[in-house]
Amino acid sequence: MKDQQPSRVDQMLNLLVEEIEERMRVGKGPPPAAESLAVEAPIPPVVPQAEPVKSVEAVAEPEVEVVEPVEAVAGFEEMELEERWQPPAPAVSPKAARLMGRLALGLLVAIVLINIPLNRHGTTLATAMPDSAALIIRDGLVVKEEDDEEIYVLQDGKLRWISSLDAFEHFGFTWGDVHIVEDGFLDQFEKGTPLHVLLKCRDSPHIYRLEGGVKRWIVDIAAFEAEGHVWEDVQFVSCGHLRDLPDGETIPPGHGPPPQP
Amino acid sequence: MNNLAIIETILRNRHRFFTEIRGGVELGQKMRAMLVSSMAFLALYGAVMGSTHSLWQALSSAAKLPLLFLATLVVCSPTLYFFNLIFGSDQSLTQNFALILTAITVTAVLLLSFAPIVLFFLLTTSHYQFFKLLNVGVFTVAGVVGVTFLSQGMRVVSASGKEGAQARRNVLRLWILIYAFVGSQMAWTLRPFIGAPSMKFELFRQLGGNFYANIFASIGEILGFFTVR
Repeated sequence: MKDQQPSRVDQMLNLLVEEIEERMRVGKGPPPAAESLAVEAPIPPVVPQAEPVKSVEAVAEPEVEVVEPVEAVAGFEEMELEERWQPPAPAVSPKAARLMGRLALGLLVAIVLINIPLNRHGTTLATAMPDSAALIIRDGLVVKEEDDEEIYVLQDGKLRWISSLDAFEHFGFTWGDVHIVEDGFLDQFEKGTPLHVLLKCRDSPHIYRLEGGVKRWIVDIAAFEAEGHVWEDVQFVSCGHLRDLPDGETIPPGHGPPPQP
Repeated sequence: MNNLAIIETILRNRHRFFTEIRGGVELGQKMRAMLVSSMAFLALYGAVMGSTHSLWQALSSAAKLPLLFLATLVVCSPTLYFFNLIFGSDQSLTQNFALILTAITVTAVLLLSFAPIVLFFLLTTSHYQFFKLLNVGVFTVAGVVGVTFLSQGMRVVSASGKEGAQARRNVLRLWILIYAFVGSQMAWTLRPFIGAPSMKFELFRQLGGNFYANIFASIGEILGFFTVR
Protein backbone atom coordinates (compact mmCIF):
# COMPACT_ATOMS: atom_id res chain seq x y z
CA MET A 1 0.00 0.00 0.00
CA LYS A 2 2.74 2.37 1.07
CA ASP A 3 4.80 1.28 -1.97
CA GLN A 4 2.00 2.04 -4.40
CA GLN A 5 1.19 5.53 -3.09
CA PRO A 6 4.39 7.31 -4.20
CA SER A 7 4.15 5.85 -7.67
CA ARG A 8 0.65 7.29 -8.11
CA VAL A 9 1.84 10.63 -6.89
CA ASP A 10 4.77 10.29 -9.23
CA GLN A 11 2.41 9.77 -12.09
CA MET A 12 0.45 12.86 -11.15
CA LEU A 13 3.59 14.90 -10.80
CA ASN A 14 4.90 13.69 -14.13
CA LEU A 15 1.70 14.73 -15.77
CA LEU A 16 1.92 18.10 -14.09
CA VAL A 17 5.52 18.62 -15.17
CA GLU A 18 4.67 17.65 -18.73
CA GLU A 19 1.81 20.09 -18.77
CA ILE A 20 3.97 22.88 -17.37
CA GLU A 21 6.70 22.17 -19.89
CA GLU A 22 4.21 22.20 -22.71
CA ARG A 23 2.79 25.50 -21.58
CA MET A 24 6.21 27.04 -21.23
CA ARG A 25 7.08 25.82 -24.71
CA VAL A 26 3.99 27.34 -26.24
CA GLY A 27 4.59 30.68 -24.54
CA LYS A 28 1.90 33.26 -23.92
CA GLY A 29 -0.59 32.29 -26.64
CA PRO A 30 -3.10 29.81 -25.27
CA PRO A 31 -2.74 26.51 -27.13
CA PRO A 32 -5.82 24.69 -28.24
CA ALA A 33 -4.98 21.81 -25.89
CA ALA A 34 -4.74 24.21 -22.96
CA GLU A 35 -8.15 25.54 -23.87
CA SER A 36 -9.73 22.12 -23.78
CA LEU A 37 -7.99 21.44 -20.49
CA ALA A 38 -9.29 24.70 -19.13
CA VAL A 39 -12.78 23.70 -20.10
CA GLU A 40 -12.47 20.52 -18.10
CA ALA A 41 -10.83 22.16 -15.10
CA PRO A 42 -12.13 25.67 -14.79
CA ILE A 43 -10.35 26.47 -11.51
CA PRO A 44 -6.67 27.36 -11.81
CA PRO A 45 -4.72 24.27 -10.89
CA VAL A 46 -2.23 26.12 -8.68
CA VAL A 47 -4.00 26.20 -5.34
CA PRO A 48 -5.45 22.68 -5.18
CA GLN A 49 -2.12 21.17 -6.21
CA ALA A 50 -0.16 22.68 -3.34
CA GLU A 51 -1.51 20.08 -0.93
CA PRO A 52 -0.64 16.89 -2.84
CA VAL A 53 2.95 18.13 -3.19
CA LYS A 54 3.20 18.58 0.58
CA SER A 55 1.81 15.14 1.18
CA VAL A 56 4.48 13.72 -1.12
CA GLU A 57 7.14 15.40 0.98
CA ALA A 58 5.68 13.92 4.16
CA VAL A 59 5.21 10.42 2.89
CA ALA A 60 8.14 9.91 0.56
CA GLU A 61 11.17 11.37 2.24
CA PRO A 62 13.86 9.80 -0.05
CA GLU A 63 12.38 11.29 -3.21
CA VAL A 64 13.18 14.85 -2.21
CA GLU A 65 15.19 15.52 -5.34
CA VAL A 66 12.11 14.76 -7.44
CA VAL A 67 9.77 16.81 -5.30
CA GLU A 68 11.93 19.90 -4.99
CA PRO A 69 12.17 20.68 -8.72
CA VAL A 70 8.45 20.12 -8.99
CA GLU A 71 7.88 22.55 -6.16
CA ALA A 72 10.12 25.03 -7.87
CA VAL A 73 8.37 24.56 -11.17
CA ALA A 74 5.01 24.68 -9.44
CA GLY A 75 5.99 27.97 -7.86
CA PHE A 76 7.04 29.30 -11.23
CA GLU A 77 3.88 27.96 -12.74
CA GLU A 78 1.88 29.70 -10.04
CA MET A 79 3.39 33.02 -11.02
CA GLU A 80 2.99 32.28 -14.69
CA LEU A 81 -0.59 31.15 -14.40
CA GLU A 82 -1.55 34.06 -12.18
CA GLU A 83 -0.26 36.34 -14.90
CA ARG A 84 -1.90 34.70 -17.84
CA TRP A 85 -4.79 32.82 -16.37
CA GLN A 86 -8.06 33.92 -17.80
CA PRO A 87 -11.50 32.61 -17.03
CA PRO A 88 -11.90 29.57 -19.22
CA ALA A 89 -14.30 29.69 -22.09
CA PRO A 90 -17.40 27.76 -21.24
CA ALA A 91 -18.06 24.61 -23.17
CA VAL A 92 -19.78 25.56 -26.43
CA SER A 93 -23.25 24.17 -26.44
CA PRO A 94 -25.75 24.81 -29.17
CA LYS A 95 -28.23 26.29 -26.68
CA ALA A 96 -27.60 29.92 -27.60
CA ALA A 97 -27.78 29.15 -31.30
CA ARG A 98 -31.05 27.31 -30.75
CA LEU A 99 -32.39 30.17 -28.66
CA MET A 100 -31.39 32.63 -31.34
CA GLY A 101 -33.19 30.57 -33.96
CA ARG A 102 -36.31 30.44 -31.81
CA LEU A 103 -36.16 34.15 -31.12
CA ALA A 104 -35.91 34.86 -34.82
CA LEU A 105 -38.83 32.53 -35.54
CA GLY A 106 -40.89 34.08 -32.76
CA LEU A 107 -40.20 37.55 -34.09
CA LEU A 108 -41.22 36.51 -37.56
CA VAL A 109 -44.53 35.20 -36.24
CA ALA A 110 -45.05 38.39 -34.20
CA ILE A 111 -44.32 40.57 -37.23
CA VAL A 112 -46.87 38.66 -39.29
CA LEU A 113 -49.47 38.84 -36.51
CA ILE A 114 -49.16 42.56 -35.90
CA ASN A 115 -49.45 43.26 -39.61
CA ILE A 116 -52.68 41.35 -40.19
CA PRO A 117 -55.48 43.82 -41.01
CA LEU A 118 -58.11 43.81 -38.25
CA ASN A 119 -60.87 45.69 -40.08
CA ARG A 120 -61.90 46.71 -43.56
CA HIS A 121 -59.88 49.92 -43.29
CA GLY A 122 -56.70 47.89 -43.02
CA THR A 123 -55.94 48.84 -39.42
CA THR A 124 -53.37 46.47 -37.97
CA LEU A 125 -52.34 45.86 -34.39
CA ALA A 126 -49.12 47.75 -35.08
CA THR A 127 -50.98 50.84 -36.26
CA ALA A 128 -54.08 50.62 -34.06
CA MET A 129 -53.18 53.25 -31.47
CA PRO A 130 -54.38 56.85 -31.77
CA ASP A 131 -51.38 58.52 -33.26
CA SER A 132 -51.61 62.25 -32.62
CA ALA A 133 -48.24 62.16 -30.87
CA ALA A 134 -46.77 60.39 -33.86
CA LEU A 135 -48.00 62.80 -36.49
CA ILE A 136 -45.76 64.91 -38.58
CA ILE A 137 -47.78 68.05 -39.12
CA ARG A 138 -47.71 68.82 -42.81
CA ASP A 139 -49.94 69.90 -45.66
CA GLY A 140 -52.30 67.18 -46.84
CA LEU A 141 -52.59 65.51 -43.43
CA VAL A 142 -56.06 64.02 -43.04
CA VAL A 143 -57.27 63.85 -39.45
CA LYS A 144 -60.32 63.04 -37.42
CA GLU A 145 -60.89 63.26 -33.69
CA GLU A 146 -61.81 60.03 -31.95
CA ASP A 147 -65.38 60.96 -30.97
CA ASP A 148 -66.14 63.30 -33.84
CA GLU A 149 -67.36 62.27 -37.27
CA GLU A 150 -65.95 65.27 -39.10
CA ILE A 151 -62.86 64.70 -41.17
CA TYR A 152 -60.42 67.52 -41.87
CA VAL A 153 -57.49 68.05 -44.14
CA LEU A 154 -54.64 70.37 -43.25
CA GLN A 155 -53.84 72.90 -45.98
CA ASP A 156 -51.61 75.97 -45.57
CA GLY A 157 -51.61 75.46 -41.83
CA LYS A 158 -55.43 75.56 -41.68
CA LEU A 159 -57.88 72.75 -41.09
CA ARG A 160 -60.41 72.37 -43.87
CA TRP A 161 -63.51 70.37 -43.16
CA ILE A 162 -64.33 67.74 -45.77
CA SER A 163 -68.05 68.32 -46.01
CA SER A 164 -69.24 65.02 -47.47
CA LEU A 165 -68.25 61.51 -48.42
CA ASP A 166 -68.47 62.56 -52.08
CA ALA A 167 -66.01 65.35 -51.40
CA PHE A 168 -63.78 62.91 -49.54
CA GLU A 169 -63.71 60.59 -52.53
CA HIS A 170 -63.63 63.42 -55.07
CA PHE A 171 -60.41 64.77 -53.59
CA GLY A 172 -58.84 61.32 -53.72
CA PHE A 173 -58.66 60.55 -50.02
CA THR A 174 -58.91 57.00 -48.69
CA TRP A 175 -59.68 55.67 -45.23
CA GLY A 176 -56.07 54.68 -44.93
CA ASP A 177 -55.14 58.37 -45.05
CA VAL A 178 -57.27 59.28 -42.05
CA HIS A 179 -55.36 59.63 -38.78
CA ILE A 180 -57.47 59.38 -35.67
CA VAL A 181 -56.34 61.77 -32.95
CA GLU A 182 -57.43 62.41 -29.39
CA ASP A 183 -60.41 64.70 -28.81
CA GLY A 184 -59.38 68.33 -28.59
CA PHE A 185 -56.15 67.81 -30.51
CA LEU A 186 -57.46 69.80 -33.49
CA ASP A 187 -58.34 72.83 -31.38
CA GLN A 188 -54.83 74.16 -31.79
CA PHE A 189 -55.32 74.65 -35.53
CA GLU A 190 -57.01 77.54 -37.30
CA LYS A 191 -60.08 76.56 -39.32
CA GLY A 192 -60.03 77.25 -43.05
CA THR A 193 -62.81 77.15 -45.63
CA PRO A 194 -64.49 73.74 -45.92
CA LEU A 195 -63.81 71.41 -48.80
CA HIS A 196 -67.04 70.87 -50.72
CA VAL A 197 -67.95 68.91 -53.75
CA LEU A 198 -70.22 70.55 -56.30
CA LEU A 199 -72.77 68.44 -58.10
CA LYS A 200 -74.40 68.97 -61.46
CA CYS A 201 -76.29 66.81 -63.92
CA ARG A 202 -76.04 67.15 -67.69
CA ASP A 203 -79.72 67.92 -68.28
CA SER A 204 -79.82 70.84 -65.87
CA PRO A 205 -77.94 74.16 -65.75
CA HIS A 206 -78.04 74.33 -61.94
CA ILE A 207 -75.10 73.63 -59.71
CA TYR A 208 -75.55 72.37 -56.17
CA ARG A 209 -73.15 72.11 -53.28
CA LEU A 210 -73.26 68.93 -51.25
CA GLU A 211 -72.96 69.76 -47.60
CA GLY A 212 -73.70 67.47 -44.67
CA GLY A 213 -75.87 65.19 -46.78
CA VAL A 214 -78.08 67.96 -48.30
CA LYS A 215 -77.78 69.78 -51.62
CA ARG A 216 -77.59 73.55 -51.61
CA TRP A 217 -78.36 75.41 -54.83
CA ILE A 218 -75.82 78.03 -55.85
CA VAL A 219 -77.99 80.72 -57.28
CA ASP A 220 -75.58 82.36 -59.75
CA ILE A 221 -71.99 82.64 -60.99
CA ALA A 222 -71.28 85.54 -58.64
CA ALA A 223 -72.22 83.41 -55.64
CA PHE A 224 -70.20 80.53 -57.10
CA GLU A 225 -67.07 82.65 -57.33
CA ALA A 226 -67.70 84.44 -54.06
CA GLU A 227 -67.59 81.06 -52.29
CA GLY A 228 -64.17 80.41 -53.81
CA HIS A 229 -65.28 77.51 -55.98
CA VAL A 230 -63.60 76.50 -59.20
CA TRP A 231 -64.99 74.51 -62.12
CA GLU A 232 -62.66 71.62 -61.37
CA ASP A 233 -64.65 70.95 -58.20
CA VAL A 234 -67.83 70.28 -60.16
CA GLN A 235 -68.69 66.63 -60.32
CA PHE A 236 -71.23 65.27 -62.81
CA VAL A 237 -73.83 62.87 -61.48
CA SER A 238 -77.16 61.59 -62.71
CA CYS A 239 -80.15 63.95 -62.36
CA GLY A 240 -82.05 61.22 -60.53
CA HIS A 241 -79.34 61.03 -57.88
CA LEU A 242 -79.44 64.82 -57.49
CA ARG A 243 -83.21 64.85 -57.18
CA ASP A 244 -83.06 62.20 -54.45
CA LEU A 245 -80.89 64.42 -52.25
CA PRO A 246 -82.81 66.55 -49.72
CA ASP A 247 -82.73 70.32 -50.25
CA GLY A 248 -80.86 72.68 -47.97
CA GLU A 249 -80.63 76.44 -47.76
CA THR A 250 -79.65 78.21 -50.98
CA ILE A 251 -76.31 79.93 -51.48
CA PRO A 252 -76.58 82.79 -50.63
CA PRO A 253 -79.58 82.16 -48.35
CA GLY A 254 -83.06 83.57 -48.84
CA HIS A 255 -83.73 82.70 -52.48
CA GLY A 256 -86.75 80.55 -51.83
CA PRO A 257 -87.22 76.92 -52.70
CA PRO A 258 -84.44 75.71 -54.99
CA PRO A 259 -85.22 74.50 -58.52
CA GLN A 260 -85.00 70.77 -59.07
CA PRO A 261 -82.58 69.46 -61.65
CA MET B 1 -20.98 25.07 -40.88
CA ASN B 2 -24.22 25.84 -39.13
CA ASN B 3 -25.06 29.49 -39.71
CA LEU B 4 -26.17 30.05 -36.14
CA ALA B 5 -23.44 27.95 -34.57
CA ILE B 6 -20.86 30.32 -35.95
CA ILE B 7 -22.45 33.19 -34.07
CA GLU B 8 -22.19 31.18 -30.90
CA THR B 9 -18.51 30.63 -31.61
CA ILE B 10 -17.99 34.35 -32.18
CA LEU B 11 -19.74 35.29 -28.98
CA ARG B 12 -18.34 32.59 -26.73
CA ASN B 13 -14.89 31.91 -28.13
CA ARG B 14 -13.94 34.91 -30.16
CA HIS B 15 -10.18 34.46 -29.66
CA ARG B 16 -10.27 31.08 -31.37
CA PHE B 17 -12.48 32.49 -34.10
CA PHE B 18 -10.10 35.37 -34.81
CA THR B 19 -7.12 33.00 -34.69
CA GLU B 20 -8.83 30.89 -37.32
CA ILE B 21 -9.38 33.96 -39.45
CA ARG B 22 -5.70 34.77 -39.06
CA GLY B 23 -4.87 31.25 -40.20
CA GLY B 24 -7.37 31.47 -43.03
CA VAL B 25 -9.26 28.43 -41.72
CA GLU B 26 -12.51 27.89 -43.62
CA LEU B 27 -12.81 31.59 -44.38
CA GLY B 28 -15.32 31.08 -47.17
CA GLN B 29 -17.61 28.98 -45.02
CA LYS B 30 -17.34 31.38 -42.13
CA MET B 31 -18.15 34.37 -44.28
CA ARG B 32 -21.10 32.64 -45.89
CA ALA B 33 -22.50 31.63 -42.51
CA MET B 34 -22.04 35.13 -41.09
CA LEU B 35 -23.57 36.71 -44.17
CA VAL B 36 -26.66 34.48 -44.11
CA SER B 37 -27.33 34.83 -40.40
CA SER B 38 -26.63 38.56 -40.16
CA MET B 39 -28.76 39.35 -43.21
CA ALA B 40 -31.63 37.28 -41.78
CA PHE B 41 -31.41 39.04 -38.42
CA LEU B 42 -31.17 42.46 -39.97
CA ALA B 43 -34.16 41.71 -42.18
CA LEU B 44 -36.17 40.73 -39.11
CA TYR B 45 -35.20 43.86 -37.25
CA GLY B 46 -36.01 45.94 -40.32
CA ALA B 47 -39.45 44.34 -40.48
CA VAL B 48 -40.07 45.23 -36.84
CA MET B 49 -39.11 48.85 -37.49
CA GLY B 50 -41.28 49.14 -40.58
CA SER B 51 -44.30 47.52 -38.93
CA THR B 52 -44.99 50.78 -37.14
CA HIS B 53 -46.17 52.21 -40.47
CA SER B 54 -47.61 49.50 -42.70
CA LEU B 55 -47.03 46.05 -44.11
CA TRP B 56 -45.36 47.52 -47.19
CA GLN B 57 -43.01 49.53 -45.03
CA ALA B 58 -42.20 46.40 -43.01
CA LEU B 59 -41.31 44.50 -46.19
CA SER B 60 -39.37 47.44 -47.56
CA SER B 61 -37.35 47.90 -44.35
CA ALA B 62 -36.72 44.16 -44.17
CA ALA B 63 -35.03 44.42 -47.55
CA LYS B 64 -33.33 47.77 -47.00
CA LEU B 65 -31.68 47.20 -43.64
CA PRO B 66 -29.46 44.29 -44.84
CA LEU B 67 -28.78 46.34 -47.96
CA LEU B 68 -27.64 49.25 -45.79
CA PHE B 69 -25.07 47.13 -43.95
CA LEU B 70 -23.90 45.36 -47.10
CA ALA B 71 -23.45 48.59 -49.01
CA THR B 72 -21.55 50.17 -46.12
CA LEU B 73 -19.33 47.10 -45.96
CA VAL B 74 -18.58 47.26 -49.67
CA VAL B 75 -17.93 51.00 -49.59
CA CYS B 76 -15.69 50.99 -46.50
CA SER B 77 -13.69 47.77 -46.61
CA PRO B 78 -11.19 48.77 -49.36
CA THR B 79 -10.14 51.81 -47.32
CA LEU B 80 -9.34 49.69 -44.30
CA TYR B 81 -7.53 47.09 -46.37
CA PHE B 82 -5.27 49.48 -48.27
CA PHE B 83 -4.45 51.64 -45.26
CA ASN B 84 -3.55 48.53 -43.28
CA LEU B 85 -1.41 47.41 -46.17
CA ILE B 86 0.45 50.72 -46.18
CA PHE B 87 1.21 50.33 -42.49
CA GLY B 88 2.66 46.85 -42.75
CA SER B 89 -0.32 44.53 -42.37
CA ASP B 90 -0.10 41.13 -44.01
CA GLN B 91 -3.86 40.55 -43.97
CA SER B 92 -5.66 39.65 -47.14
CA LEU B 93 -8.75 41.50 -48.34
CA THR B 94 -10.79 38.39 -47.56
CA GLN B 95 -9.57 38.42 -43.97
CA ASN B 96 -10.45 42.09 -43.73
CA PHE B 97 -13.85 41.39 -45.17
CA ALA B 98 -14.36 38.55 -42.72
CA LEU B 99 -13.46 40.77 -39.78
CA ILE B 100 -15.86 43.52 -40.81
CA LEU B 101 -18.49 40.88 -41.42
CA THR B 102 -17.88 39.66 -37.87
CA ALA B 103 -18.62 43.16 -36.61
CA ILE B 104 -21.80 43.28 -38.70
CA THR B 105 -22.83 39.85 -37.43
CA VAL B 106 -22.36 40.90 -33.81
CA THR B 107 -24.35 44.08 -34.52
CA ALA B 108 -27.09 42.01 -36.15
CA VAL B 109 -27.26 39.60 -33.22
CA LEU B 110 -27.58 42.49 -30.78
CA LEU B 111 -30.25 44.10 -32.93
CA LEU B 112 -32.14 40.82 -32.90
CA SER B 113 -31.87 40.69 -29.13
CA PHE B 114 -33.22 44.25 -28.93
CA ALA B 115 -36.06 43.50 -31.34
CA PRO B 116 -38.56 42.27 -28.68
CA ILE B 117 -38.02 45.53 -26.75
CA VAL B 118 -38.54 47.61 -29.87
CA LEU B 119 -41.63 45.54 -30.67
CA PHE B 120 -42.94 46.19 -27.17
CA PHE B 121 -42.56 49.95 -27.62
CA LEU B 122 -44.08 49.73 -31.07
CA LEU B 123 -47.24 48.25 -29.57
CA THR B 124 -47.42 50.44 -26.49
CA THR B 125 -46.45 53.89 -27.69
CA SER B 126 -47.18 55.75 -30.86
CA HIS B 127 -44.77 58.62 -30.53
CA TYR B 128 -42.92 58.63 -33.82
CA GLN B 129 -39.99 60.76 -32.70
CA PHE B 130 -39.50 58.65 -29.59
CA PHE B 131 -39.59 55.47 -31.65
CA LYS B 132 -37.07 56.92 -34.06
CA LEU B 133 -34.68 57.92 -31.27
CA LEU B 134 -35.15 54.55 -29.58
CA ASN B 135 -33.96 52.89 -32.77
CA VAL B 136 -31.05 55.27 -33.13
CA GLY B 137 -30.04 54.36 -29.57
CA VAL B 138 -30.34 50.65 -30.26
CA PHE B 139 -28.27 50.95 -33.43
CA THR B 140 -25.64 52.98 -31.60
CA VAL B 141 -25.24 50.39 -28.84
CA ALA B 142 -25.20 47.46 -31.27
CA GLY B 143 -22.81 49.29 -33.61
CA VAL B 144 -20.37 50.19 -30.83
CA VAL B 145 -20.24 46.58 -29.62
CA GLY B 146 -19.81 45.44 -33.23
CA VAL B 147 -16.82 47.67 -33.89
CA THR B 148 -15.33 46.66 -30.54
CA PHE B 149 -15.31 43.11 -31.85
CA LEU B 150 -13.73 44.36 -35.05
CA SER B 151 -11.03 46.12 -33.06
CA GLN B 152 -10.28 42.98 -31.04
CA GLY B 153 -10.26 40.90 -34.19
CA MET B 154 -7.86 43.26 -35.90
CA ARG B 155 -5.48 42.98 -32.97
CA VAL B 156 -5.50 39.18 -33.12
CA VAL B 157 -5.32 38.90 -36.89
CA SER B 158 -2.52 41.46 -37.15
CA ALA B 159 -0.55 39.96 -34.26
CA SER B 160 2.11 38.56 -36.58
CA GLY B 161 2.97 41.91 -38.12
CA LYS B 162 4.33 43.96 -35.21
CA GLU B 163 5.72 46.64 -37.47
CA GLY B 164 3.42 49.65 -37.66
CA ALA B 165 1.03 48.18 -35.13
CA GLN B 166 0.37 51.54 -33.48
CA ALA B 167 -0.24 53.19 -36.84
CA ARG B 168 -2.67 50.42 -37.78
CA ARG B 169 -4.53 50.92 -34.52
CA ASN B 170 -4.90 54.61 -35.32
CA VAL B 171 -6.02 53.76 -38.83
CA LEU B 172 -8.66 51.46 -37.40
CA ARG B 173 -9.93 54.19 -35.05
CA LEU B 174 -10.18 56.61 -37.93
CA TRP B 175 -11.80 53.99 -40.10
CA ILE B 176 -14.45 53.31 -37.45
CA LEU B 177 -15.36 57.01 -37.57
CA ILE B 178 -15.58 56.89 -41.36
CA TYR B 179 -17.64 53.73 -41.13
CA ALA B 180 -20.09 55.45 -38.78
CA PHE B 181 -20.38 58.48 -41.07
CA VAL B 182 -20.82 56.41 -44.21
CA GLY B 183 -23.33 54.16 -42.44
CA SER B 184 -25.44 57.05 -41.20
CA GLN B 185 -25.40 58.78 -44.57
CA MET B 186 -26.29 55.50 -46.27
CA ALA B 187 -29.17 55.08 -43.84
CA TRP B 188 -30.33 58.60 -44.64
CA THR B 189 -30.18 57.86 -48.37
CA LEU B 190 -32.12 54.61 -48.05
CA ARG B 191 -34.74 56.04 -45.66
CA PRO B 192 -37.52 55.63 -44.63
CA PHE B 193 -37.02 52.60 -42.41
CA ILE B 194 -39.77 53.43 -39.94
CA GLY B 195 -42.06 55.56 -42.06
CA ALA B 196 -43.69 58.73 -40.74
CA PRO B 197 -47.26 57.82 -39.75
CA SER B 198 -48.82 60.79 -41.53
CA MET B 199 -47.16 60.02 -44.81
CA LYS B 200 -47.96 57.44 -47.41
CA PHE B 201 -45.65 54.50 -47.97
CA GLU B 202 -42.69 55.31 -50.12
CA LEU B 203 -39.77 53.08 -50.99
CA PHE B 204 -37.25 55.92 -50.92
CA ARG B 205 -37.77 59.46 -49.78
CA GLN B 206 -36.46 62.54 -51.55
CA LEU B 207 -32.96 63.54 -50.63
CA GLY B 208 -32.53 66.62 -48.50
CA GLY B 209 -31.54 67.41 -44.96
CA ASN B 210 -29.21 65.10 -43.15
CA PHE B 211 -29.24 62.41 -40.52
CA TYR B 212 -27.78 64.49 -37.71
CA ALA B 213 -30.04 67.50 -38.23
CA ASN B 214 -33.04 65.16 -38.21
CA ILE B 215 -32.00 63.50 -34.97
CA PHE B 216 -31.45 66.91 -33.42
CA ALA B 217 -34.95 67.97 -34.53
CA SER B 218 -36.45 64.79 -33.06
CA ILE B 219 -34.78 65.39 -29.72
CA GLY B 220 -36.05 68.97 -29.85
CA GLU B 221 -39.61 67.80 -30.42
CA ILE B 222 -39.48 65.22 -27.67
CA LEU B 223 -38.23 67.86 -25.25
CA GLY B 224 -41.02 70.15 -26.40
CA PHE B 225 -38.89 72.86 -27.99
CA PHE B 226 -40.58 72.68 -31.39
CA THR B 227 -42.68 70.55 -33.69
CA VAL B 228 -41.15 68.88 -36.71
CA ARG B 229 -43.11 70.09 -39.74
